[in-house]
Amino acid sequence: MDSKELKHLYWRSGFGINLQELNVLTNFSKKETVDKLITNSKPVVPLKIDVNSLKNLSFQEINRNEVLKRDFLKKSREKLKIFNLEWVYRMTNSTAMLRERMTLFWANHFVVEDHNIIHFQKYNNTLREYALGDFRAFVKAISKEASMIKYLDLKQNKKNSPNENFSRELMELFTLGVGNYTSYDIKEASKAFTGYSFEFNGKFKYDVRNHDDGFKHLFGRSGRYDGDDVIDIILDQKQCAEFICRKIYAYFVNKNIVQEYIDEMTSVFYPGYNIEELMRFIFMSDWFYNKENIGTKIKSPTELLIGIQKIIPIAYENPVELVKIQRLLGQPLLNPPNVSGWEGGKSWITSNTILLRLKTASLLLNNGLISVKEKGDFYDRYSEAYKKRNKGRFFKASVNWEDFDKNYQKASFEDIKNQLILTNLNLEVEQVVDNLNHASNRDSCIQIMSLPEYQMC
Amino acid sequence: MKRRSFIKTTSLASGLLFVPSFIQAFENTLSSKFGYKRLVIVQLSGGNDGLNTVVPYRDDIYFKSRPNLGLKPEADLHLTDDLRLHPSLLPLKDLYDNGYLTIVNNVGYPNPNRSHFRAMDIWQTASDSDSYYQNGWLGRYLDAEGEHPYNAIEISENLSLALKGKELSGIAVKNPEMLYRLSQDPFLKRISKNFNDAHLNEHNLGYLYKTMITAESSAKYIHETNKIQSSKATYPKTDFGNQLKLIASFINSRLKTKVFYASLDGFDTHVNQLKVHNRLLSNYADSISTFVNDLKSQGTFDDTLILTFSEFGRRVKQNSGRGTDHGSANNLFVIGKHLKKPGVYNQLASLSNLDDNGDIKYEIDFRAIYTTVLNRWLDADTSKILKGSFKPLDFL
Repeated sequence: MDSKELKHLYWRSGFGINLQELNVLTNFSKKETVDKLITNSKPVVPLKIDVNSLKNLSFQEINRNEVLKRDFLKKSREKLKIFNLEWVYRMTNSTAMLRERMTLFWANHFVVEDHNIIHFQKYNNTLREYALGDFRAFVKAISKEASMIKYLDLKQNKKNSPNENFSRELMELFTLGVGNYTSYDIKEASKAFTGYSFEFNGKFKYDVRNHDDGFKHLFGRSGRYDGDDVIDIILDQKQCAEFICRKIYAYFVNKNIVQEYIDEMTSVFYPGYNIEELMRFIFMSDWFYNKENIGTKIKSPTELLIGIQKIIPIAYENPVELVKIQRLLGQPLLNPPNVSGWEGGKSWITSNTILLRLKTASLLLNNGLISVKEKGDFYDRYSEAYKKRNKGRFFKASVNWEDFDKNYQKASFEDIKNQLILTNLNLEVEQVVDNLNHASNRDSCIQIMSLPEYQMC
Repeated sequence: MKRRSFIKTTSLASGLLFVPSFIQAFENTLSSKFGYKRLVIVQLSGGNDGLNTVVPYRDDIYFKSRPNLGLKPEADLHLTDDLRLHPSLLPLKDLYDNGYLTIVNNVGYPNPNRSHFRAMDIWQTASDSDSYYQNGWLGRYLDAEGEHPYNAIEISENLSLALKGKELSGIAVKNPEMLYRLSQDPFLKRISKNFNDAHLNEHNLGYLYKTMITAESSAKYIHETNKIQSSKATYPKTDFGNQLKLIASFINSRLKTKVFYASLDGFDTHVNQLKVHNRLLSNYADSISTFVNDLKSQGTFDDTLILTFSEFGRRVKQNSGRGTDHGSANNLFVIGKHLKKPGVYNQLASLSNLDDNGDIKYEIDFRAIYTTVLNRWLDADTSKILKGSFKPLDFL
């Protein structure tokens, strides 16, 4: 594979590529590289933080005692911030790159928000477990997760007083897409999902007393269906496979859909619903590497942040620092805007986020300073003045430049540029950076990461 | 961004970008439509208890439902035979007596949602309770009528969904100086001065460049135009007071901004509500009355309309923690000099005829309020902004 294709593959199936990986992998064929990518992602390593201090309680205890409850929620919120940080580190460093990338994708497909760390952590690991697995089993597992049961009101969905929220989103957002079901289907499906509940530790609990055991009629079939039956009925429709393929194509390939490719993908995905097989097919296809697909996607804030710290390791002093920048950039990872998740693409870019996005690398790595020292300049007056003016630190994080220095010791300015940028640079802009002083690889790296072109992957 | 202004930006982009005439050129074409009437939205986050804001002080059901929370405001807070203001709202009584305040009761929408996030989204996007929009009602107003991000300004670090449009979004500013400094980074300025126009045609990357330019020019515009130091008015030293102070400064500097957005958080009063609610409403009323006086002193109150809403009201019956739980329909305040129907717009719905949750039933769809404001205050074509049609009300 040539380096452009490799960079593309690694940005879409992971969070970018570093210099050694790039140098090593150019010697391999596409098949070898994709095989390796998938093999590396076979292991499922759950992401777990210490929640022991919260585990030994029960619903009865915290519902009886308001103080205990508030304390639980407060601790839980703190733990969620830690989990957020650990998740970001995981995505940055995991060798199971594709699995982590898919986990992030599914988190924006099966969207939940949860203030309970025990439930949220379990949910996140279910996403990770099924990320490359059987989509059919995946949907069933998700429907039984405490976080989902809470988020879409399945707990309020009882025999004689149904709540349709979950059934509607199941069809509209998770499986079929708008217009491929009727409100009658939703009503009937919601009867099948009655009786869903969970224990304090998040374990699924089936409450027979609340379950509606009667006949349900949907999509032209009828029976005494339960929730799993309904999911099977939905997934028997090819439309579901196509809907998922479209979403995957829009995220991994291009927001501009090419129906021909969707058809190819759908015939791979249906009826087996094997996610790994589908992803392999995409990465092996020729069209994945078409020019219009390379370097044309606007990075999400998460992609931007992880891409930077994959090159220069960053350790946040406090999880709050990470949450703060995620929020400012518009993607607080654990607080999606609503059940349909982040829209992505152009919606990341507003007058508020754009300047901050361009300054993100410099803020994280160099207290906001982007050097404009010209070729041949001996003094760097701007940098000196800047440092004098900005003594406080914008972000409290420690940056491991030593790691970068070691890896990029032999790299030239051109090497860094080629490695970090996937699109063609604007000619005039390229001249601006080319004319800057390239004595310091650190400065060069920040300069390139501050270009609008670096916002693309 | 509209095609027209896009072409202008491109042709002016290289080199000329930071020449003031660039901005001047736009202003001339806009002065007909922009820069006169302004709308200020105040969001009370958390679900304000409307019943303890505008109090049905003679209603037995009210007192029976709220043995610890029922209020009996004094006569100086008198509105109508049935309603009096919360004591903390005394500063607003003047506005009421002068005919500058309209209180609309029972505002809501069908199948109300009682989750903060969802209900707030519904209010901000003007959606039905079972549909999800990716942009807000004021963002769509910008799409239809706006030219620049600074046509709608939120005083915050993050931009709310309400101000996000498909093509054009408002801008969030907490500290205009910081935003300006960010936009003046020498490296970024070199990029925006030197890039090739041809780039703008590229789908996503072009969009990035375009947004970068408009962000820079908005930051510069706000920095350069916001010259009038906010008068001697003394605002409460609270975050909300500071937000209104900055808005007053923007308005009095005659920024070409049609919509301002401020918010006051903390209304989720589940426990020991009385004290917290007193404090919140004081902060609200003191800040608003200072704000109005500040505008009056500069002659800009004439052209300003202030709309205050919350994502839902609270349950009629108090809970076991001397607080109230999430409700649905609620009252809403409109403040301005040109109100056609000042005072209490409509009667409070009956407290004996509640919905299944024990909440007040809605009578007026909140999108009818938006329609009225868009149509009769901002002269906008609502068909491009709101889905479905809602009959405007008579308060404007």
